[in-house]
Amino acid sequence: MIDSFAILLLVMAAAAFLCRVAGFTLMRLVPVSPRIEAALRATPLAVMAGIAVLALQSGGLAEALALTAVVGLTVLIGSDVAAALLGVVIVAALRWAGL
Amino acid sequence: MSAAPFTWDGLRRGARDGMPLGLSIFAYGLGFGLVAAQAGFSVAKAVATSAAIYSGSAQLAAVNLLQTGSATLWMLFATILVINARYILFSAALQPWLGQVSAPKAYASLLLLGDANWMMCMRRIRDGEQDRAYLAGTGVPMLVGWLSGTGLGAGAVSILPEPQALGFDLMLPAFAAAMTAAMVRVRADLVPVVVGAGMALVLSQEIGPAVAIIGAGLAGGAVAALMFRAPA
Repeated sequence: MIDSFAILLLVMAAAAFLCRVAGFTLMRLVPVSPRIEAALRATPLAVMAGIAVLALQSGGLAEALALTAVVGLTVLIGSDVAAALLGVVIVAALRWAGL
Repeated sequence: MSAAPFTWDGLRRGARDGMPLGLSIFAYGLGFGLVAAQAGFSVAKAVATSAAIYSGSAQLAAVNLLQTGSATLWMLFATILVINARYILFSAALQPWLGQVSAPKAYASLLLLGDANWMMCMRRIRDGEQDRAYLAGTGVPMLVGWLSGTGLGAGAVSILPEPQALGFDLMLPAFAAAMTAAMVRVRADLVPVVVGAGMALVLSQEIGPAVAIIGAGLAGGAVAALMFRAPA
């Protein structure tokens, strides 16, 4: 077992820090070609689509309706942040209604 | 080197845009504080954990592991490494932009890197954000929200409503969906979206959600690299 909370914290912080800086540091050593840049530009879209679709998969009807509304609202009102916040309100309301 | 701007103005602008993120992270922090307190963490220990790791999913996994009573330091290290491996990808994607300022500024900014502000920054970068302090700015309200939420959650376990009842568990997916919708401009942008979503579904079935997110990012990037044609 682990007896010192300080050591525990240090080890966990080291792991978290390593992840935050590793990609950045590695990319400093690699010359960024236009091809690599295209890959890096596509990464956020793929990650975000992944996050959203996993929430759909693990969620029910309320989550599906709310996330669909978020996509529609983003296009409609032109603000992604406002649409996301509205999505949270929608899912809370749907859950409250028992969906 | 430091040719790119890194100003107070950018930091302030980031902090302003990060406010709604900070609010949602506050609610998520309440949730973590609650779990930590139930696992026997004091308020101080819970807040220290949030400050040291600064990643909700990794912290929840760590607390779960500690609760089993048979966790070793290596197991904890490895668990956090696997769950946070997506940050390797996140910081790699930021490098061409963030690498334009001095190393201390860049690394200090990366300390404030989270899921939500990474998404927000990548979106703003695509829209032409030049000020590299913007990233750290978006991180400030998130850090404040995360730490205060953790403390309050750990200290006031019995009187709080479930964060789930308020819909806050859907905050990150909602931001992800909204920013995906906002970032898809041309038809080619749909390719990483479809590849990422498909890969995430397959991997989450086969392995688990942490690997699924990394796999989604890698697959989307790989397909974009393969499809890349140098402008003639």
